[in-house]
Amino acid sequence: MKTRNRWILYAFVTALLVTLPYYTGTYLLSVAGTILIYLALALSWDMLLRSGQLSFGIAGFFGIGGYAAVLIFTNAGLNPLISILAGGAVAGVFALIIGTAVLQLRGMYFAIVTLALAEIFRVIIRNLPDLTGGPEGLVLPAAIFSGDSTSTFWLILAVAVTALIASEIFQKSRVFFALTSIRNDEVLARSSGINVFKYLVIVFAVTSAIQGIAGGAYAHVHGFVSPEGSFSLDFALLPMAMALFGGMHTTWGPVLGAVLLGIAAEFLKLQIPYGHLLVYGVIIVIAIILFPKGIVGTISQKLQAR
Amino acid sequence: MKELFKQRIWQWVLASLILAVALACWKPYVLVEGIQRSSLYAMIALPMALVLGIVGIVNLAHGEFMMLGAYLAYWLNVHFGMDPFAAMFPAFIAFAVIGVISYLTTIKYVLGAPELNQLLLTFGLAMILQQLANLVWTSQPLKVHLGYVSASAAIGSFSFGTFEFVYVAAAAILLGGLLLFLKHTRLGQAALAVGQNPRGAKLVGINVDQTYLIIFSLSIALVGAIGAIFMTRHSIFPLVGGAYTLKSFCLIAMAGMGNLAGIAVFSLILGVSESLVLSLRGYAGWADIIFFALITGVIIVKSHQRQIR
Amino acid sequence: MASSKVHAAPILQIENLKRLFGGLAALNGAALEIRENEVLGILGPNGAGKTTLINVIAGIYPPTSGRILFEGRAITNLPAYKLCRLGIGRTFQLAKPLEDLSLAQNVMVGALFGNGGTLKEARRIAEETCEFVGLGDVERGISKLTALEIKKMQIAHALATQPRILFLDEVMAGLNTDETREMIELVRKIHDRGITIGIVEHVMRVIRELTNRVVVLDWGQVIAEGPYQEVSADPLVISAYLGEDA
Repeated sequence: MKTRNRWILYAFVTALLVTLPYYTGTYLLSVAGTILIYLALALSWDMLLRSGQLSFGIAGFFGIGGYAAVLIFTNAGLNPLISILAGGAVAGVFALIIGTAVLQLRGMYFAIVTLALAEIFRVIIRNLPDLTGGPEGLVLPAAIFSGDSTSTFWLILAVAVTALIASEIFQKSRVFFALTSIRNDEVLARSSGINVFKYLVIVFAVTSAIQGIAGGAYAHVHGFVSPEGSFSLDFALLPMAMALFGGMHTTWGPVLGAVLLGIAAEFLKLQIPYGHLLVYGVIIVIAIILFPKGIVGTISQKLQAR
Repeated sequence: MKELFKQRIWQWVLASLILAVALACWKPYVLVEGIQRSSLYAMIALPMALVLGIVGIVNLAHGEFMMLGAYLAYWLNVHFGMDPFAAMFPAFIAFAVIGVISYLTTIKYVLGAPELNQLLLTFGLAMILQQLANLVWTSQPLKVHLGYVSASAAIGSFSFGTFEFVYVAAAAILLGGLLLFLKHTRLGQAALAVGQNPRGAKLVGINVDQTYLIIFSLSIALVGAIGAIFMTRHSIFPLVGGAYTLKSFCLIAMAGMGNLAGIAVFSLILGVSESLVLSLRGYAGWADIIFFALITGVIIVKSHQRQIR
Repeated sequence: MASSKVHAAPILQIENLKRLFGGLAALNGAALEIRENEVLGILGPNGAGKTTLINVIAGIYPPTSGRILFEGRAITNLPAYKLCRLGIGRTFQLAKPLEDLSLAQNVMVGALFGNGGTLKEARRIAEETCEFVGLGDVERGISKLTALEIKKMQIAHALATQPRILFLDEVMAGLNTDETREMIELVRKIHDRGITIGIVEHVMRVIRELTNRVVVLDWGQVIAEGPYQEVSADPLVISAYLGEDA
């Protein structure tokens, strides 16, 4: 697609989304908001995946961002929007520290350590009741923007767009070459002059910061954080399924996956109130076995083969 | 080189014995409970080590199979009055079948795929199993009450639960059984060969695919049966398995691949440490972190050792 | 015979290099020097430590002991990415090209990170380098390349990092006579650009034609050094390749 046409398409879609509150009701708006949050998470997960590193830590940094945003807002009295950004920054700093220690590891060791992260954060937070409200969590006096659905939607849209822009930067800059090279063969990457460790730590920190911002936004929109709720593995499971389904290692794959699966999930929730998460597990399993490259990947593979 | 190794081993053994005795005097309950707890961890970790070492994949759904085994035993107990220890046998068979089905429908297809795909697949499987349990039994924790679990004995003024020594016995039997199986049966030796060098094993005529199938199903069967034992003393809920998967991986990573006895050793260290923390008033909630802190530390140290920069 | 504008000054000095893997000494006190702008042949039977030598020089792993000096400064424990940027380039016997990228993009990776610079500059360098090695139609996907073209691409990739010294690890393996001739010409062209070359090879014709000097490794040590004519007649070398009784 020509660059000029592409920008027109972007503008059109952006306009559509920004004006969405004016012609949809609050229910659809909140569904769209949920999809956009998961979209941001799916994108940030994929961005790290492009380096070949699998992380289950989404839920961990999402929760950290949420707690940090709430705590900063409550204790420092900052503007809620600033506190959301601060939440992201805190998550990013955590990731920087943890990453420096842990990114010597590769493959399953790194993945499992990240799986433990959410657990670790949850336990720590549960055990510091004076700071974090313990097992009951913290409730905000009011949701952000007093719960106004339009402003809330725009906030979430901004988060999603941030993730999108970050993902595209990763895809169109030298970062793309670095990550693809690292994923392909780390020794070759090093011999090409790539400081692998530095790239991995930076990517880990940036993607965790995005997850933190998403967590902060989510916390303010819903008005509370809790150990079980904010660190729920759902925030890892769903984005991963979406990115896999839509197509890994691309920007549009996770976007497509988030939209399609998000809409499907809403339908499912209405039909089967309790089982819909099961479907996500099934989707992951089927996607891995039958089309590991996801929709976008499989299509572009077919196109290349011609 | 070997001299040094032997020396260090005895140093460690001596140090541990001293610590154990000290603990026995100071907080005997911690020592006893720690040993019992560690046996449970070891039991659960051993089948996972089997799969990792021989089939070569990390089964993130491992804890979930145990959870389902526990639910099966619960169901048998509530509807047929079957004792959980008796339930181990139908559980073993049922989960052997489940293992075979799981392998043939999913695991088989990712054996050649990159590690990431394997992790994602078993993660998805774990989610499926968790949700199934949730659908059928809801997230409400369930427990059975059996008379014999409160059996206790006393040494002087110190009394302790004796039932949990069943765990210790079961763990010992499992470890011994597995070691015997691997070293002294043809199937076991074939499995070891496959684990070390699948292509070489194929060349000498071992049916590698069949070995994978058998070992995987064996692992699931074992952990399903262990679920029955687990159920006797713990309340069960759909998410209960996850922590055990992680802790099992910790133990395997610390002991090193293929070191089954090492798993028993490390589980002792960790079980007792956990027990110790749990006994410290005010810090009990932190017990779970021990495993994770230790695993992160050990993995980092090991990766430095192994690293080619 | 290779060109004779060899400077006497060593560009690379290796002193008593040891590299242990567990109990096995892949390098056991290897010492040699490479002079600026020469073409040095690196010979030795299988397992002699040739690839290990290159890996250690290029920073894939550090030596267990010993020193390496590049242009007079010590580089012994520097990581691979720094050494690449300093000007040490190499090819791999078995490398996985990036299949998701085109030929040009593969070479761009070397240009981008071996030098720094913008995407545009890297693109330009990549295209020039591809032309230099004789690769056309650079937008092709990797799957459409022949074996020879893949080898050329690897060389282009290494060249794109602007090396001062380039190690070629068995680039002639598996080539027929015409292809070998083409490769020899290419190596000459690279050398004419002023790049010092260390070439690990088993194909002796290539060594004869390209090198001023060779070193022979066996069991992780340098057992002979000098022009190919002399070294190939050295009984120590012959027995290393053929066994004691030959």
